[in-house]
Amino acid sequence: MEYIIHILILVGIYGILAISLNLIVGYTGLLSVTHAAFFGIGAYAVGILMTSIGVNFFLAVLLGIIFSCLFALLIGLVMSKFKDDYYALASFGFNIIVFSIFLNWQKLTRGPLGIPGIKRPEIFNFIFSSNLHFLILVLVALLLIYFISHFIVNSSFGRVLKAIREDENTIQVFGYRTLYYKLAIFVIGAGMAAVAGGLFASYITFIDPSSFVLMESIFILSIIILGGLANNKGALIGAIFLIILPEALRFVGMPSDIAAQMRQVIYGVILILLMLYRPKGLLGEYKL
Amino acid sequence: MDIIPQIIINSVIAGAIYTIIALGFNLIYSTVKFFDIGYGVLMTIGSYVVFLLFKKLGFDFYLSILFGIVTSGLIGYLIYKIVYYPLRARKASNMVLLIASLGVFIVLQAIIAILFTSQFQTLTLSSSVQKIYEIFGGFITQTQIVIFITSVVLVLVVALVLKKTMLGKMIKAIGDNEDVSKIVGIDTRKIIGYVFLIASSIAGVAGILVGLDTGIEPTMGMSLLLKGVVATIIGGIGNIYGAIIGGFFLGFIENFGIWQISGEWKEAIVFAILIIFLIFRPQGILKK
Repeated sequence: MEYIIHILILVGIYGILAISLNLIVGYTGLLSVTHAAFFGIGAYAVGILMTSIGVNFFLAVLLGIIFSCLFALLIGLVMSKFKDDYYALASFGFNIIVFSIFLNWQKLTRGPLGIPGIKRPEIFNFIFSSNLHFLILVLVALLLIYFISHFIVNSSFGRVLKAIREDENTIQVFGYRTLYYKLAIFVIGAGMAAVAGGLFASYITFIDPSSFVLMESIFILSIIILGGLANNKGALIGAIFLIILPEALRFVGMPSDIAAQMRQVIYGVILILLMLYRPKGLLGEYKL
Repeated sequence: MDIIPQIIINSVIAGAIYTIIALGFNLIYSTVKFFDIGYGVLMTIGSYVVFLLFKKLGFDFYLSILFGIVTSGLIGYLIYKIVYYPLRARKASNMVLLIASLGVFIVLQAIIAILFTSQFQTLTLSSSVQKIYEIFGGFITQTQIVIFITSVVLVLVVALVLKKTMLGKMIKAIGDNEDVSKIVGIDTRKIIGYVFLIASSIAGVAGILVGLDTGIEPTMGMSLLLKGVVATIIGGIGNIYGAIIGGFFLGFIENFGIWQISGEWKEAIVFAILIIFLIFRPQGILKK
């Protein structure tokens, strides 16, 4: 039972990441491969604030969101100069730069040693110490993010995003400043990723830079490509599938290091097959 | 003792390696116009074939290297046949091709890690000691001299082939306009196949040289690939001499950067340069 709860918590955290990236990639058509950076900023903000100053978890997450948003604003401004594959390439670059900062700003992040002893969330003297309580917290966050995202994409703001994805020039002719829309959704997505980061740090109680590498961004991207771009249910299904997959491989009797590599083989093959035969994923509404 | 000569030698060697990587990458990009991430893993494959044949099975050293290069070339060609050709025949967007090539990269890298473990290995025999030469107070190993000479020879050969032969002219024609090339009777499918074969073999050469110089691990492909991409963009995409300028420029910036700042920031420096170039001079130093 503990094990199933553990898997569900991970699914919840990656679900948040997938939904937030879907806003950027799926709904707006910006192929960003830097989501692990914002995930990491959220995690480090919570880790550092909770262990060194003893800030409450919820306040720390809030500060993490703000910090992640500011950073996304900066990155988003630079990236707004690029299009399509150059956009993807520049986002690769930012992920590696942020990872470098986690690894090398040792005074703040303790570098490769990581930050141990991050506490579980506490509110009104209630500590989310058992995993079941933590799962409830994660699910509440997931639902909240899901509905915010649902609200965003169905609002007039969301319609402009989809229009940008389909044909940016045309919507500019109608007088929309697309730069602001693209920046806004990038910042919102980054803020949501920071929530996932905070939950992750507090759940695992230990963070180090290796959780926020470029491959992690690619993994999150694979989740939404598998589930379907511009479809939040698809994003959740993708997260469930790709999180459970390596665990299932372990059950078949594979050693865990080979299972980790097998997971990569399988999601790589999935990416290739999807691109060849179904570029919009399982439930996708948008084709790259 | 002065450290400058050593830094210059290191820069030149790094530059030579980046030039070779960029040479192959540039060839692919200027012909088919998409970022082929899978190119990175071909370097890893080349060096692991040498590792398997030479160190595990005791084959002749030069024969192993030949096999390594040929294997990289053939695998690159097969990937084109199986994945990229059908996608391009369907006029898939650059982003679809980018993600498919990412899938190729992930799958092959994971397979290598399963077959050979994720550990760091050396390609050279432990019993043999490399000859070391001294130039102007800096030291250079025999392998590094080979690296430098190889890069010069490869650039000359590729430049000659592109300029003087019918094949080269056809490759250039396809790069300029694929549809018109087809109309005038160029078998684009076959010629692009050759391009992948040649470029992938060059990737094999680069991987083997890096392996001989520093050692190999399954994850080496991504960082080498990104260096090659950055060198290509800095030098000027679609310009064969751009690869040289970009490669050496990157080699010097990186090594002098390490000297001034510190080694850990190497990757961040490279990507900061990429982003600066993308913003201010996206066409690179040399225009096509």
